[in-house]
Amino acid sequence: MSKDSKPSLAARRAFLAKLGGAATCAGAAIGAATLGVLPSVPAKAEPAADGATFPTKDYDWTKHQWGFGVDATKCIGCLRCVEACKNENDVPRNAHQFRTWVERYVHLEGDDEVHIDSQQDPVNIEASGSETTFRFANRYKDAKVYKAFFVPKLCNHCTHPSCVQVCPTGATFRTEDGVVLVDETYCIGCRYCVQACPYGARFFNEEKHVADKCTWCYHRITKGLQPACVEVCPVGARMFGDRRDKNSPISLFIRNNRVQVLKAEMGNAPNVYYVGIDKEVN
Amino acid sequence: MPKHIVRLITLIAAALVVALVAPHLLTVKSFYRFGHYRANAVPEIAAREPVYQTPRYCYGCHTARRAQWSAGSHKTVICEVCHGPAQGHPQNGKLPIPSDTVRLCTQCHEAMPGRPHTQPQIQVAEHSGGQQCTVCHNPHSPKITAAVAKVSGDAAAGKQQASACASCHGTEGISPNDTWPNLAAQNPAYLARILAAYKSGDQTDPIMTPLAQALSDSEVQNLAAYFGSLNCKATPHGKAVGDVAAGAAVAKNCTVCHGEGGRGANPAWPKLAAQKPGYLMNALKAFRGGLRKDPMMAGVTRGLSDADIANLGAYYAAQTCQTTK
Repeated sequence: MSKDSKPSLAARRAFLAKLGGAATCAGAAIGAATLGVLPSVPAKAEPAADGATFPTKDYDWTKHQWGFGVDATKCIGCLRCVEACKNENDVPRNAHQFRTWVERYVHLEGDDEVHIDSQQDPVNIEASGSETTFRFANRYKDAKVYKAFFVPKLCNHCTHPSCVQVCPTGATFRTEDGVVLVDETYCIGCRYCVQACPYGARFFNEEKHVADKCTWCYHRITKGLQPACVEVCPVGARMFGDRRDKNSPISLFIRNNRVQVLKAEMGNAPNVYYVGIDKEVN
Repeated sequence: MPKHIVRLITLIAAALVVALVAPHLLTVKSFYRFGHYRANAVPEIAAREPVYQTPRYCYGCHTARRAQWSAGSHKTVICEVCHGPAQGHPQNGKLPIPSDTVRLCTQCHEAMPGRPHTQPQIQVAEHSGGQQCTVCHNPHSPKITAAVAKVSGDAAAGKQQASACASCHGTEGISPNDTWPNLAAQNPAYLARILAAYKSGDQTDPIMTPLAQALSDSEVQNLAAYFGSLNCKATPHGKAVGDVAAGAAVAKNCTVCHGEGGRGANPAWPKLAAQKPGYLMNALKAFRGGLRKDPMMAGVTRGLSDADIANLGAYYAAQTCQTTK
């Protein structure tokens, strides 16, 4: 069943795309015939004729394709990534809105249910002492734990992002180098994207009144730095790099491990690759 | 053509013109450059300044710290994890030096289900008795590695040599008075290290220094092997000025290195059980005053009062040196 579900999904997407394309062409032809004016929309970015690179003078987005790796077997749940992300990206200082977060999955002996919490669980907020610092409470210290592990989560920067599809104003988009960004000046705060994301990676920024999400620290990666969460991870559970470079950390991570993505069945084609997660993680 | 039809056609034509012209007037120029979004948003987002500066930024000034940190087990933990983002430093002032290291360090090192076994983890309640982690650990290179000297001496040869030690340390390594330490069953690696320190001058004592300087390296090894092989004769001392129960509370801080009841198994550090209370007190005061030099002991003795020291002496003196196993 699952074997042919993806191709059929892709086929349906392709068919609908063609249908849409045909309808657009027909409409455009009629429109152009009548008035001879149409905004031209190039499908792909092409290097500018004057040799200037986009988006910055030192960085050409046509030369990169970014990818992210998470090795959950290494994660210690220290939440330094969460704190670094808040600092780096001016994320609202509360214990409820995050661009990246860490989940804890705990199986207790004689209990079929998996216990899942993240740093925004009330018990963990209490353990941290404030809403602006993050800590996992040692709540399973005296329990009979059968199996437990941590899983870092963030935006998957999907190749077919649902959030971009539903945005009514073009305020969110996927860059040529594979990062899904939000244009804060164009976001009208309708929150369709927050609802559309199958991964819960987006939230509404109450301070700026716009949709907010992980950018893979676009301002860092375009300057040759690592995203802040990758930079601070003390155990190397997070990896980032250019998939065009066969020897980048992410290329090696994908090549040397059996990786998986979250909710592959959604057809979003995520670009965050996981190792060491269980069937409950999605 | 009827008038109302003409009006209708005019209206539709006007609406069409508005629909086709308005987007051109209302849409910013870069909007369709690459797709259905404003291309200029990308350089705007990319222009933001990084907040985390990476260790390379810190190297410029903190060269000594860098050397220490990059050689230690914390080299994967960048400066800004503990000291906070370096943006604006040093122009805007100092970066914080964490004061509550128990809280900070346990963020990663508290034993917790779900943490991989490769991660060093501690039982917070049992590990340090609530002391700050930095008392014993250097945060930039936290692994405690005492050089465990290899002892390859001959105990029988050491026995010949040891007759010179008997007047102070007793014939069987059990000191006859309160001032000199018992040596019987002490960890040989520790004995060899201390004798070598007297010999080299790293540690000085009016009596021990000349005696140790007269020893050859092999004699040091033989003596260490000999005293290590003796029986400690578990006779805990009763009389001491301090309070055993109060000492037990303070001694919780010592167990990580010296073992439960001072019967430490780690050969790098001395056993303390059934040691002479007067000697223990003198040694602790020497560490506290800087007369005996050891970075670890200097740290842990800094906060001890005279009463604490007396209590510790009494506590360890009252312990049996025989391991129950």
